[in-house]
Amino acid sequence: MTDAAFALSLRGVTKQFGSTVALDGAQFDVRAGTLHALLGENGAGKTTLMRLAFGMLRPDAGTIEAGGTARHWRSSADAIAAGIGMVHQHFLLVPAMTVAENVSLGDRGLFRGFDPRVAADRVRRIGAETGLVLDPAARVADLPVGAQQRLEIIKALARDAKILILDEPTAVLSSAESQELYSWLRSFVTRGCTAVLITHKVREALAIADDVTVLRRGRAVLSGRPRELAESAVIAAMIGSAATDEVQLPAAGSTAGVSVISLQHVSMTDGRGVHRLRDVSMEVCAGEIVGIAGVEGSGQHELLRVLAGRLAPDGGGVRLPARIGFVPEDRLRDALIPTMTLVENLALKEAGSARGSVRWTSYEARALGTIRKHDVHTSGVCSLASALSGGNQQKFVLGRELEGSPDALVVENPTRGLDIRATSLVLAELRSARASGVAVAMYSSDLDEVLSIADRMIVCFDGRATDTPVEADAVARALLGLS
Amino acid sequence: MNGGPFTAFLEAGVRTATPLAYAALGELVVERAGVINIGLEGAIIGGAFGALVFAGAGGVSLGFAGAALAGILVAALFALFVVTLRTDQIITGTAMSMLGLGLTGTLYRTMYGSAGASLHTPTIAPAPVPGLSAIPVIGPALFDQPVVTYALYALVPALAWWFYRSVAGLALRAVGEHPEAARGAGISPDRVQWAALLFGGAMGGIGGGTLVLAQVGTFAEGMSAGRGFIAIAIVVLGRWTPFGVAGAALLFGAASALQTLAQTTGWAMPYQLPLAFPYVLTLVLLASARARTAAPAALGQRSA
Repeated sequence: MTDAAFALSLRGVTKQFGSTVALDGAQFDVRAGTLHALLGENGAGKTTLMRLAFGMLRPDAGTIEAGGTARHWRSSADAIAAGIGMVHQHFLLVPAMTVAENVSLGDRGLFRGFDPRVAADRVRRIGAETGLVLDPAARVADLPVGAQQRLEIIKALARDAKILILDEPTAVLSSAESQELYSWLRSFVTRGCTAVLITHKVREALAIADDVTVLRRGRAVLSGRPRELAESAVIAAMIGSAATDEVQLPAAGSTAGVSVISLQHVSMTDGRGVHRLRDVSMEVCAGEIVGIAGVEGSGQHELLRVLAGRLAPDGGGVRLPARIGFVPEDRLRDALIPTMTLVENLALKEAGSARGSVRWTSYEARALGTIRKHDVHTSGVCSLASALSGGNQQKFVLGRELEGSPDALVVENPTRGLDIRATSLVLAELRSARASGVAVAMYSSDLDEVLSIADRMIVCFDGRATDTPVEADAVARALLGLS
Repeated sequence: MNGGPFTAFLEAGVRTATPLAYAALGELVVERAGVINIGLEGAIIGGAFGALVFAGAGGVSLGFAGAALAGILVAALFALFVVTLRTDQIITGTAMSMLGLGLTGTLYRTMYGSAGASLHTPTIAPAPVPGLSAIPVIGPALFDQPVVTYALYALVPALAWWFYRSVAGLALRAVGEHPEAARGAGISPDRVQWAALLFGGAMGGIGGGTLVLAQVGTFAEGMSAGRGFIAIAIVVLGRWTPFGVAGAALLFGAASALQTLAQTTGWAMPYQLPLAFPYVLTLVLLASARARTAAPAALGQRSA
């Protein structure tokens, strides 16, 4: 049974990792020449399903068809040869190499020459054909995230990919960059190619996709065209009918208290002499959430670290409280040590200032208190941080940083990579911190999210920070440097 | 041999550098693939012993083949543990060094008994290049050497071309920088690291073979004398590039040749002083930020 109308078709696929069933007879058909959104919560099996399609994993049961032919990939090299390309959520780029070198990776031949000029021409040609323009000689380490993603797509196109799989491509993009990506994908499928978009952003998926499939617990539970599907039905399918989380509105008219963090004419230059912050003055007051927005590389990264006391500016005045909690964007790199237990991760917070022997029993009690108070699902305080799901890791980090009621809390993209339920729990934590008088500064690359929770907005553009009304149009203009 | 003591010093420097350069160029390829082979010493002493056994049976050429083969065997064992079984590179490498030193010593005594000490192998004589070897001062140093040294003159640029101008070299460097990115491009990091290690083993073996067949003319227990570790330092000093490594090997060779110069000129200088110089330079370089950025990003890490 083959169907040439499907560019990609996975039927009855099952995949187990140890005792965990990642896919349980999932069915996934992608019509040729369409943009197909694959929706689902974290752990629903989206990425596993697409790794099967890309030959990175082999199914325990079920069949894979591409271009109407049954396929038994031995490795992703087979899938690449059949015209499938995948852009991974965590980019697979060599930072020390140039754009052209990264594109040429995976060419074959022990003594086949690699000519940088030919490779550069290839990058330029793809740029001219597809509008994805990058400087071939640029080092990947110097590229902003949006450009790195463009490079991942160029890499796939250089292998003549006709089916492009993108895993959570907008997780790291600003809304403007996301729109750019979506319109590019539209033109890609208009040329007869096919794209699969793994995402958990329901609204975006329904707005841009031709077809939508919802995965839940390793099964395809809903599939159809966006205009035939109600948004609430899709959300219900994703999280199960038991709970529908509604977006909570910000507590209206919350009154801010005394100024807790204050920056006066702060400026900062990075190691390469680029101005990151220019004459930034701002305050964060007790009992308010200051939302921060900015296109990648506009200075928000540095601003948050100055607010959290992690970076000292070159010039200007900074007044910080004694106790500040900080939740960095990359929790597994900057907030937790994955191979240590929760107790150890909690103790680490004070490892720089504590003296003498470690009183583990007291840390254990505190860790237990943290996981209870913040509803962290885990088998115990002695389980490794890596054993927790992303949402529970984030709740634990938040709980740790909020322990002992700090004066201020600085959070960066706190819901990155989290599903709907975990997202709403994290946002609820931030609201309750505000209610208890903590001065909160929050950056999110998801504009709707930050607008839904912020009492005030500050927008970064080219190292400057501007007060902006809490309103989508005004923020969008400020993001582009218009005011 | 013509010229004064300085010419003799240069000639000794190049001669001493030759086995170091072979081992270090092999280690360079291994490290650019993300593996640090502390067990290189084992491949060198294995190569020296292989040279002894095979040269005794079939002359110098077979001796070098035997040296390469022995180095490959030691490296294959290392690769089996480190790449396939994912053991710790440092611990496994240390074990390989000790295994190589111990095993060759035992085999030597078992196979050759007490007569071992007087055993001599055929050696490869210097083959002066007509014309070039008559250049004053540097001529004899560079062009009155055995053929193994000349082979390096071709190998270094060839390796540089392969690293930076071939697709396979690109793949090798990608594995050393970011194995997951390489895997995503359809490259098998395991296979690349295996190949790099076998090449590195052959080169280390030839380095050991050079000691026996081009210099000493016999085998002695432990004659590798730490050259495997020196080669690793040379790779650092050469900043992970073929020409840099060749230059660093020359520097280490020159430092140990200084003692020859000191003897012939009657300097009252402790010869350990110049010997220590390249190590000090390596340490200084290691402490600088530049060395860290030159090192392959995934060096010494296991690929998942």
